[in-house]
Amino acid sequence: MSEKIIDLGKGAQGLFIKNSRFNTTLISFNFYLPLAKETVADYALLPFILTSCSKKYPDFSLLNYKLSRLYGARLDASTEKYGDYQLLKIKISVINDRFSLDGESLVNRASDMLLELIFNPNTENESFLETDLCREKRKAIEHIKSEISEKRVYAKNRLIEEMFKDQPYSVAKCGKIEDVEAITGKSLYNAWVKMLKTAFLRVNVVGSSIPSGFFENITEKLGTIPREDIPMPKNSAPACSVKTVNTVTEAMDVKQGKLVMGFTSQLFGNDDNSLPLMIMCDIFGGGPYSKLFSNVREKMSLCYYCSASSVRQKGLITVESGVEFENTDKAKTAILNQLDAVKKGDFSDFEFSSSIKSICDSLFSYNDSQNALDSWYCAKVNNDNLYSPEDIANKIKNITREDIINTAKGVKLHTVYKLVGRENN
Amino acid sequence: MKKEFFESDIGEAYVKAIHPTGLKIYILEKPQYNSAYAIFGTKYGSIDTCFSVNGEETKVPEGIAHFLEHKLFESEDGDAFTKYAKTGAYANAFTSFDKTCYLFSCSDKFYENLDILLNFVQSPYFTQATVEKEQGIIGQEIRMYDDSPAWRVMFNMLLAMYKNHPVRIDIAGTVDSISKIDADLLYKCYNTFYNPSNMFICIAGNVDTEQVLKKIKDSIKVSEGLEITRINQAEPDSVCENYVEQNLAVAQPLFCFGYKEKIENEVRSVKQRIATAVLMEIIAGEVSPLYKQLTDKGLINDEFDSEYFNGQGYSAVIFEGESSDPELVAELIKAEVDRLKNEGIDKKLFSAVRCGMYGNAIRLFNSVEGIAMQLVDCAMNDSCLFDEIKYLKSITVEDVYKRLSLLDNEKTVLSVIKPMEA
Repeated sequence: MSEKIIDLGKGAQGLFIKNSRFNTTLISFNFYLPLAKETVADYALLPFILTSCSKKYPDFSLLNYKLSRLYGARLDASTEKYGDYQLLKIKISVINDRFSLDGESLVNRASDMLLELIFNPNTENESFLETDLCREKRKAIEHIKSEISEKRVYAKNRLIEEMFKDQPYSVAKCGKIEDVEAITGKSLYNAWVKMLKTAFLRVNVVGSSIPSGFFENITEKLGTIPREDIPMPKNSAPACSVKTVNTVTEAMDVKQGKLVMGFTSQLFGNDDNSLPLMIMCDIFGGGPYSKLFSNVREKMSLCYYCSASSVRQKGLITVESGVEFENTDKAKTAILNQLDAVKKGDFSDFEFSSSIKSICDSLFSYNDSQNALDSWYCAKVNNDNLYSPEDIANKIKNITREDIINTAKGVKLHTVYKLVGRENN
Repeated sequence: MKKEFFESDIGEAYVKAIHPTGLKIYILEKPQYNSAYAIFGTKYGSIDTCFSVNGEETKVPEGIAHFLEHKLFESEDGDAFTKYAKTGAYANAFTSFDKTCYLFSCSDKFYENLDILLNFVQSPYFTQATVEKEQGIIGQEIRMYDDSPAWRVMFNMLLAMYKNHPVRIDIAGTVDSISKIDADLLYKCYNTFYNPSNMFICIAGNVDTEQVLKKIKDSIKVSEGLEITRINQAEPDSVCENYVEQNLAVAQPLFCFGYKEKIENEVRSVKQRIATAVLMEIIAGEVSPLYKQLTDKGLINDEFDSEYFNGQGYSAVIFEGESSDPELVAELIKAEVDRLKNEGIDKKLFSAVRCGMYGNAIRLFNSVEGIAMQLVDCAMNDSCLFDEIKYLKSITVEDVYKRLSLLDNEKTVLSVIKPMEA
């Protein structure tokens, strides 16, 4: 496998991730825009409206029909937070030409379709059409509501919101319901124009070959847009420090409570020096060999789930757990005790090496998934080196126990979020 | 070992072998991949609550298959997770209605991991103390599912759909039912259903078939095959209730709408299952006129989905999603079924759906996990991995139309989860 960055003009890159083991080709457009509560909802809606119709396919049903005829090509839209940026992703995956039963070039047709959808939306008088707008707004609002219904997701989102108060990262990735309600055909059109003009763009192709003339086509299309000088997305700061731990408790009609804890570290950004944070977090609460799993869940039976995950970009560690209401405080103490143990170096060589092995094993599996490779290289957009998963696995092998202890010492509890039942509040 | 070789024109091939104990082994090599995925499973799930072995009848508490899955991870010499931690593999297990599967995936040390898997699944170790501890952990898991709207909406529907079939009970059982489980009962179930003749091993990825077969041959404990009979009370064709609802902390209603199909044979054939899958796409898939109608009316979103739910003695066509008006969605689905029965199936739509499903069947071979899971289906149903690709090429609109007759608008259940009343 080899990767090569191809210049597509101002603030735009193409990346060919050559990998011939798949039956499909994946093409993704990734737009990076600053995360801000004023613009988040409009931007977040763009990938969805753009993948629902276009000038050539004015009706979503017609588009779905075409995708089905294209041997079930998959068109996907998403919006994610990437540090203090909003990442808008539009991708298509299609089976390779050799499987076509009538000799058509499926990959070229899929890449043409993607360009049509992104650059030629169904708009009139510089505005998206009312029917399309209503449909996509409704779906976005329902999606936000369903995240509120999913208590595990909800509790984590609330923690992030509290922890990064007044910072861009606190902004919910799709915005709030009222922000979505305020979107108009006009405002969305303006957001589309602004995206094309100002977003940093990375186009990934994962497969055995680049569709013919594909990157040249994009360069040409971007050339017709007055693109500004667009810098690469930058690393962003962790949560502002607090003097005392911030605790937030909410009550809802639930049978089981949620306890979510947010920690900060000064090791942030996606480069090499934050790699120990990933391992430290894993020893603390990653796999089944971790402190949290083996002690808080298994030995103490305090939670059905209790695990830690890290967002290196933000120097953020979160611990999520499902607990009986009456055990919330006990669980919190137990979780903190386990973090102290890591700080004191009270973890075995077994726990340490298990973590390294497990993470390396999964890094070596990245090459077996097109979606994993696509996401991997999207998260490397602001790195000078285009490290592959194997490169990172080899770096991780050099991390020492001391690196872990030193990293853990810098980890501080910042915010605690508790979701409890109504009668218990 | 008896071996059979299967090949397809899409460039994939696999081996099915039968161990002298009756254990079925499926291996698909993916030499260009870094990783491999292995599953050791048994035809034993939550529905197997009443059975007889060599003539002796036994009834066990609900949720025991799932409980056994949790407990099997512990052996006398430590738990399986600890052993996998030494190799770096990802390991897990799951229990469904009709099977229990233990799995791992890895990109290194495959044969060591396979050893661990073969070993712990064949080494039960249950004591009263460990059983009691697990009752606490699973009790919490059950409570977590009580709060899960997606889980509740499905099980409420099954409860209303099935009068006797054990598919109506929660996979994990209830806090009360699992309190009746003890070490002896676990051994009884283990010795019955974990007999190699009732089990299968499915592997896909960067492995060498001969080496895998040798390893399995050396590790499978020899035991005599058992005659297991699953005892189920007769299930009526009708449903218990057409409508059920529950209030939970959700922001908008969730629904699950199912057609109970009459079961003429114990299980559905591959052809019947594929024809039904095509039919479901024609009724309410993304290219169907109904999908457009439901979307235009603001009644469904991207969560809308369908599932052909079938196994030993049960079969249902299910549509689920979120909607501001689940009753209207159900009415419109029924109307579409009637319309299709009267007007027939549009050939152009049929051909687009078939083309899309053909592509998806090829796409499946991208993922070693997907292949291994599909091989489990082959083991459960005694089918071939390439049946779908083969059959999709020859299926006709008439084959699909025939399946429509199984959908009876009188034998439906609509289950709804509504937000809490303020």
